Amino acid sequence: MINRNKKIAMSIVRTVLLALFLIAALLPLYWIFVTSIKAGNEIYTFPLKYWPEKPSFDSYRELFSFSNFGLYFRNSLLISLSAAFGAMIVSILAGFALSRLSHRRLKGAIELGMYFTQTIPTFIIMVPIFTIFSFFHLINSRIALGFVYVATVVAFCTVMGKSFFDRIPASLEEAAKIDGCNLMQALTKVILPITLPGMAAIFCFAFINIWNELFIAVTVLSSSDKMTVPVALNSFISKTGISWGVMGAGIVVALLPTMVVFGIGQKYIVAGLTDGGVKG
Amino acid sequence: MRNKWLLVMMIPAFLFVILFLYFPLAKGVVMAFQNYNMFDLTNLHFIGLDNFKAIITDPYTNFWQILWNTLIWLVFSLVFQFLLGFTLALLLKKPFAGRGIYSGLVFYTWALSGFAIGLIWSWLFNGQFGLFNDILIRLSLIETPLGFLSTPKLAMMSVIITNIWYGVPFFGIMLLAALQSVPNELYEASTLDGCGAVKQLFYVTIPYIKPTIVSTILLRTMWIVNYPDIIYAMTNGGPVNSTNILATQMINEVFKQYDYGQGSAFGVVIMVILFIYSVIYLKLTKSSEDSI
Amino acid sequence: MKRVLVALLVFMLSISLFAGGSSESSSSDSSGKIKLTFFETMTSPGRTQVLQNLIAEYESLNPNIEIELISPPYEQADNRLSMMLNSNQELDVIEVRDYTQKQFVNNGKLLDLTPYIENWAEKDDFMPVAHEISRNVDDTPYILTSCLYVKALLVRTDILEKYGIPIPTTMDEMYEASKQLAAANPNQFGYALRGKSNTFKISDVLMFGNVGDINTEMCYETNDGKYWLDNENGKKAMEQYLDLYKNGCPADSINWGFNEQINGFISGTTPFLVQDPDVIGSLEGQLDPSLYTVVPLPVGTSGYRYLDYGYNGFAISTTSKHPDEAWAFISWLNGSEKNGEFCKAYGPLPVFQSVYENDDYFSSDKYQAWADELVAEDTIFVKFPIDSEKYPAWAQVQEQGMQAMLMGTVSVDDTIKTFKEYWGY
Repeated sequence: MINRNKKIAMSIVRTVLLALFLIAALLPLYWIFVTSIKAGNEIYTFPLKYWPEKPSFDSYRELFSFSNFGLYFRNSLLISLSAAFGAMIVSILAGFALSRLSHRRLKGAIELGMYFTQTIPTFIIMVPIFTIFSFFHLINSRIALGFVYVATVVAFCTVMGKSFFDRIPASLEEAAKIDGCNLMQALTKVILPITLPGMAAIFCFAFINIWNELFIAVTVLSSSDKMTVPVALNSFISKTGISWGVMGAGIVVALLPTMVVFGIGQKYIVAGLTDGGVKG
Repeated sequence: MRNKWLLVMMIPAFLFVILFLYFPLAKGVVMAFQNYNMFDLTNLHFIGLDNFKAIITDPYTNFWQILWNTLIWLVFSLVFQFLLGFTLALLLKKPFAGRGIYSGLVFYTWALSGFAIGLIWSWLFNGQFGLFNDILIRLSLIETPLGFLSTPKLAMMSVIITNIWYGVPFFGIMLLAALQSVPNELYEASTLDGCGAVKQLFYVTIPYIKPTIVSTILLRTMWIVNYPDIIYAMTNGGPVNSTNILATQMINEVFKQYDYGQGSAFGVVIMVILFIYSVIYLKLTKSSEDSI
Repeated sequence: MKRVLVALLVFMLSISLFAGGSSESSSSDSSGKIKLTFFETMTSPGRTQVLQNLIAEYESLNPNIEIELISPPYEQADNRLSMMLNSNQELDVIEVRDYTQKQFVNNGKLLDLTPYIENWAEKDDFMPVAHEISRNVDDTPYILTSCLYVKALLVRTDILEKYGIPIPTTMDEMYEASKQLAAANPNQFGYALRGKSNTFKISDVLMFGNVGDINTEMCYETNDGKYWLDNENGKKAMEQYLDLYKNGCPADSINWGFNEQINGFISGTTPFLVQDPDVIGSLEGQLDPSLYTVVPLPVGTSGYRYLDYGYNGFAISTTSKHPDEAWAFISWLNGSEKNGEFCKAYGPLPVFQSVYENDDYFSSDKYQAWADELVAEDTIFVKFPIDSEKYPAWAQVQEQGMQAMLMGTVSVDDTIKTFKEYWGY
């Protein structure tokens, strides 16, 4: 009896906690959405209205007609998808190799070198990237920007990839080898299918990070028709302040792709990480 | 032979990291030792450690306060991100109806950009039309709006709350994944040994997922120290330096003062601190691992 | 090892191949058109649109010219331009402002426009003050002034009426009115104080008038060459400002940037706002124009109002391969006709006498105050020390100093001392 009561109490506590987490996560999003569908003068009235008197989608209309948001959205999608895909390929290769490397000290050094990239502040490489790229005539090249993006996520993705492969016994490849596969075939035919969730996780991680990047994009790109979504959002801040309605609409729209990728991907992220478990 | 092929497979990753991170970084570090000030670049030369001396002794922006702020920002953000993330992961471990959708809704904040989050939360904390002020007034807890971002103590608290909100999903996802990989036999065995839930947590779960804990905390630390986006969007270090951390002061040097030399010097300071931290951290966690 | 090298080579080649296709190096394309690159820095989505329309018009008038507009977000634009200029990227027309003029000249990035301006048909119509600003650095016209930003006082007439307070004409009156409003109602305040980002551009303008005798070439000195903040009037002006914050402004305003100032004005919390004319545009659609008016900045106890010209202008980069074409474009874009059109669409004050004479837009309604203020006998224009190497870092030092003083953590005297030392007096 006591046990049962305890169980009920536990599940109540659990439900309450889960509800609190949900509210905390969604409230800001709700608020930014409400702001985006309020009419201009309604945003700045106190006390606040928790739902607009007359919901208006003017901000969204303005977003797409006035500021070319649709174009930026396409640019961002293109660059994020391709750079994330590139990063996934590169880090799967490197992650596999790193996991199977038998030279212990080399392995440690490489891993440390990968971790160390995470200590580099964006701003210390911003100006050098600009000067180097301008020397090679790479300014305003989206491909060059994509390469930098791959570089910024590849280190973490490699470490992620390595930990998946760590959990897959090398004996699998040995078996493949006996069947007459070389190392590459072993990777593509035997290992990869098992690591698909892991790859999905890497892809999601890379995509989300790249989609959100602002400062490097501004550094590398010049033409406004190549700009990405975060740059567009940033450009709503001018000498004369922020227009909250449009900004809110922009944030909501910018969220959609990452939500979709995340929604599809999170199952794999968890699964992928479970198979692998990120190990230091 | 085999190792050689494995190294070849790593070449693309090496190239990316070396060409697009380490090479620019080397140039950036060189700038930290030059009088690289955009105000006048006609006489660019090496000035030894002058930039470092300048940022440490600058009477107008107190370096030690910035360092202290960075520490506060890091410790509070990290501790709460971890604890809340861990709690969330534990709550989500057992399946329940709608868990997939639930975790999607509660984890989505991970997918936002720090800059957007800073904007959203500065709007929530707004001293005139902020939602939080409105709620507090409706609940009659306060009479006039609070200056969440304009009072030094509240400002630091506000940016940290925002950062916690941002970081919980990272720990949530990573730890949830790790929790699910704990073999059930371990739990069964410990239940047979008469372990309660709490004991189980500390003696079975945490030791098993320790590698994940160690690496996620290390990474998160680096990111928290390094990413200025949230503070930049919310207070830009103000009021009176109270939320200024190394990373935001670096932006100020670069964007507002055009002093790329001193900006880079801040960058070097950040990296050195993080490097020392990582070495010590890894040593400490390693040795305790051996003792288990 | 060989393989590694080969791989490296292939990799580098492939980058340059990809990049070659998309980089922006060629200045005249196959059709024989001349391509000009135009860098905008004071960007906002609306302003960029206006510029793009003007560019399209110019291109249709001059079929051999093609203009590419680069407009990064406002917060990053000046920096991006700095980086481009200093790595000698090819640019033709660039937008320069008070914060960057000296820097670009120092680094030899701007073309001396003297020969062009001398032969310019509209040079006599170009206002004397615009000529002067063009020559702000080294007494050489490196830029062609395009827009002026001058402070005036915006007043919410409905709020003042409600409390029976007349529109202030002196600074002391405005301070008093602010305190009166704040005392009347816990959610009502007076002045929309600017607490962050380039605070000095507004706070100093409030103080100048009560100090008086300001050196017009260097606004932190009086005419006898002494620093003024520590003289009797200066100290009093600081104390008054502190008093204004404590008793006439929302406590939150210590963290107010432009955005929050505007919001305070729109909501009526702070019915006094000191701002540039481009604020009119941002109020549009958010505040009924009949609810507010614009008046000249109140005069100080000296009997004068001291104002400064914020400005931006166009310049030709020394990396330009087509300076003549660039000038042709600038002088069209910044000619009397288009200058008026541009300023109307975007908000600041134009730089041609004829614009004010032929078009009463800039001397009526909301703009009346600026038109009056520019020619008023009690207006004196002063300059911030933009060519000092201390100027770029001043904004942050001043902002923090003022915030600490307003919060009461540092005394007025100590703040004055810090500022005085900063400027080396």
